[in-house]
Amino acid sequence: MRPVPLTSPGGPTAPAGRRTLGAKVKFATRYFLRLLRTHPSYAAGYVIVTVVVLVAIAAPVIAPYSPITADPSVYLQSPSLAHPFGTDNTGMDVLSRVIYAPRIDLAIAVIGTAISAIIGTLLGAWVGYFQGTPGIRNIASGTTMRAADVLQAFPVFVFAIALVAVFGQSINSVIFAIAFVNIPIYLRLMRSQVLSIRRMRYVEAAFVSGMPDRFIIRDHIVPNAIGPVLAQLSVNIGWSILLTAGLSFVGAGVRAPTPEWGAMIATGFPNVMTGQWWPSVFPGLALAVTVYGFALIGTSIEFMADPRRRRTLAAAQVSA
Amino acid sequence: MNDPGSGRLTRRGVIKGAVATGAAGIVAGTASAAPAATEASHTFVIAAPATPQSLDHEYDVSLGTIDAVGALYDNLLEYAKIPDPDAPEARREDIGVHSDKPYNLNLVGKLAEKWEVSTDGTVGRFTLRQGVKSNWGNEFTAEDVKWTWDRKLNLHGLGPFQTGVLNIFHEDQIKVDGRYVVSFHLPKPNPLLLKQMVNLSNPVYDQAKCKQETVDNDWAHKFLENNSAGFGPYEVAQLVRGQQAVYKGRADYYRGKPYMDTVIFKEVPTSATRLSLLQGGSVDIAQFLQPLEYVTLKRARGVAIDAVRASYAVWIELNAKMKPFDNVKVRQAMNYALPREETLKTVFQGLADKQTGCIPAIYPEFTDQFWQYDTDLAKAKALLDEAGFKNGFKSTLSYNAGDPVQEPVAILYQTSLRKIGVDIVLNKVPAATFYDFVTKREQPMIFYRDSPWVPDPGYSTKLYFHSKSYVDYSNYVNPEVDALITAGLETIDAAKRKEIYTKVQEIIMGEAPWGFIAWPRYVLARRADLKGFTYYTSNNLRFQDFYRGA
Repeated sequence: MRPVPLTSPGGPTAPAGRRTLGAKVKFATRYFLRLLRTHPSYAAGYVIVTVVVLVAIAAPVIAPYSPITADPSVYLQSPSLAHPFGTDNTGMDVLSRVIYAPRIDLAIAVIGTAISAIIGTLLGAWVGYFQGTPGIRNIASGTTMRAADVLQAFPVFVFAIALVAVFGQSINSVIFAIAFVNIPIYLRLMRSQVLSIRRMRYVEAAFVSGMPDRFIIRDHIVPNAIGPVLAQLSVNIGWSILLTAGLSFVGAGVRAPTPEWGAMIATGFPNVMTGQWWPSVFPGLALAVTVYGFALIGTSIEFMADPRRRRTLAAAQVSA
Repeated sequence: MNDPGSGRLTRRGVIKGAVATGAAGIVAGTASAAPAATEASHTFVIAAPATPQSLDHEYDVSLGTIDAVGALYDNLLEYAKIPDPDAPEARREDIGVHSDKPYNLNLVGKLAEKWEVSTDGTVGRFTLRQGVKSNWGNEFTAEDVKWTWDRKLNLHGLGPFQTGVLNIFHEDQIKVDGRYVVSFHLPKPNPLLLKQMVNLSNPVYDQAKCKQETVDNDWAHKFLENNSAGFGPYEVAQLVRGQQAVYKGRADYYRGKPYMDTVIFKEVPTSATRLSLLQGGSVDIAQFLQPLEYVTLKRARGVAIDAVRASYAVWIELNAKMKPFDNVKVRQAMNYALPREETLKTVFQGLADKQTGCIPAIYPEFTDQFWQYDTDLAKAKALLDEAGFKNGFKSTLSYNAGDPVQEPVAILYQTSLRKIGVDIVLNKVPAATFYDFVTKREQPMIFYRDSPWVPDPGYSTKLYFHSKSYVDYSNYVNPEVDALITAGLETIDAAKRKEIYTKVQEIIMGEAPWGFIAWPRYVLARRADLKGFTYYTSNNLRFQDFYRGA
């Protein structure tokens, strides 16, 4: 019979009182809104990312032109009413491409990061839980960590280029490369959390009660160690967007003429010297703002994951 | 940095200034070797995409290498020079057919003083110039010419093709008839014999020095990779790959010491940086800029642009052995769908001409009378329907990531093809592996840029359209074309050759193994006081041509 998960009154999953679910949601919402009020920059981050996501979803409706149709009759036109962000060297509308680009950039970054987070988290939990225990599992844990060392010894960007070169130029290859280079980050993050959590009394209690290791990991280790991983997610998505753009910039990313910010910057870059700055500057701005937005969200999650700062804000909320 | 000639600070000026500052650092290394170009009138600084990888042309045809070969070595003959009709300050080789001149060619002796071809066209005899010394002090004799051609037969680089087009397969076909006389014995008449003696690919080596440096029967290959042993106007002073090559003019050169006594060939990989260096006066020539950058330079002070018609061509290999391009109608349709005019205007900025034939338009016997592929999407669609592709098809177009011109052309083409139901995926191939893709001939469509150096219709068509050629990258096979090309290469009579190669062009243009795009011009961006630019069909600079003037 599957043991009932234990909770520890002093443990990280201890409920904050005997509130109903509705009350909990209401409290969390008020807490979140207060966080945004007291830290407007965090609010800006959420607004930026929300806008980018909405723009990506609504791209076919709001983009004035096709993002992949060349029109040589209007090549390299400076920003105007007809083309607010100008046109590139083949006459494609820069605004339309900037609008469509997050569909690719966000999809690659989110999927790549999610894959790496899932695999890295599970591996990290497993490695951390069994590290130091006698037997083959300990050897496997050590081997996994050394493999992660090897992976991280390569410069991430060069490693990603090599992966894309091996698997061919496609969106799937970029996703794979991003997932692959990010796995060690989550693995280490989770492992360090698990190493401290596995000594907690509620984990020991679960073990003594005869709960199988896999359930202890699933029900007690992962939920309590996941906070920093969630905080890392947002930062990593921003970083993955940059990596995607970087890969495209060096020609190892998506295929032309797929609208993608890095590829657009690369295509427009040579024109900067000849005075046509718009094909690369607008996608560059979009890229910078989006990554900044994800970084702000990451900081806000980090804030919320910090019990001391969280309690301070909650106390202020209660007193208010 | 302010815009030249104005005291106003502009955004573009600031950007250019920043790049120029960085670029100044790049050329700073040359400062100790030579003063700034504007101060040292006999020092010639060139900003190039890359330094020579090897100085042995047998195994290297890269851009830096062919510039080096033109300076370090001499040939037996050269074409007389004439003013270029398109660039007032430029000159070019007179490669036309001249019925009033011996062998119909306007040739000038270089290392050879006299030359004659037997009436049956099978023996060419060259009387060599006496008193010529190599950069190692060895006297030039017939043995040098023989060793040079024997080397081609014994190595497996460019040599076998260069000898093969002359039907030279054995060392005893090159004979030393005297200390200063050498003869070539061909089994059949060959109109290329004299032209091959002009070809940059056939420079003469100093056999005495090369024999000294031969290791393990390598015909001095290792030595010649980093050194020169020739009779040209320059010698190598320094070669640091990835940084610069320095060439020194030879005081004992038989035609007199060249005006530019020091040539600094500097590697500047980014074209924008080369542009800035030229604008700032740090270099005399910026090689291989982007078309839009050349246009920008037209407005710059102190800089001049020469754009001359050249032997270059850019086309798409339509793989005749792969479906659907094994169908002539599909290949014709692909040509009708190419947006050439727009490509020439937007991508090439007018610095290229429409490719209306299968050999360079500047070459003898070229004709555009078989040109039919002006962009016509309705006709393209109709041809696809006739070929059984009513709903179009999908394919892949591969292009070189290292050539910034190819991607925009590919995008324009993709957009155009979409209108007739053809969906092509653009496959960007890293420059390092692009030529591997080309030579394997396994891509349905792939860009190619090349030039046949010998201005002859037989040489050009044999290179690209003869089924036995190693450069027939479109896998084009037509026994009639093969036979005609071979017959033309065994015919001396000019009128008959014209008839043969007109027929060859008619067949090839009808069967369209290429997607004909453009003949890019050879464009030289130089300081305005630099004179003497001469265009060669080998598309390289000859440093000895340049001098400074008002």
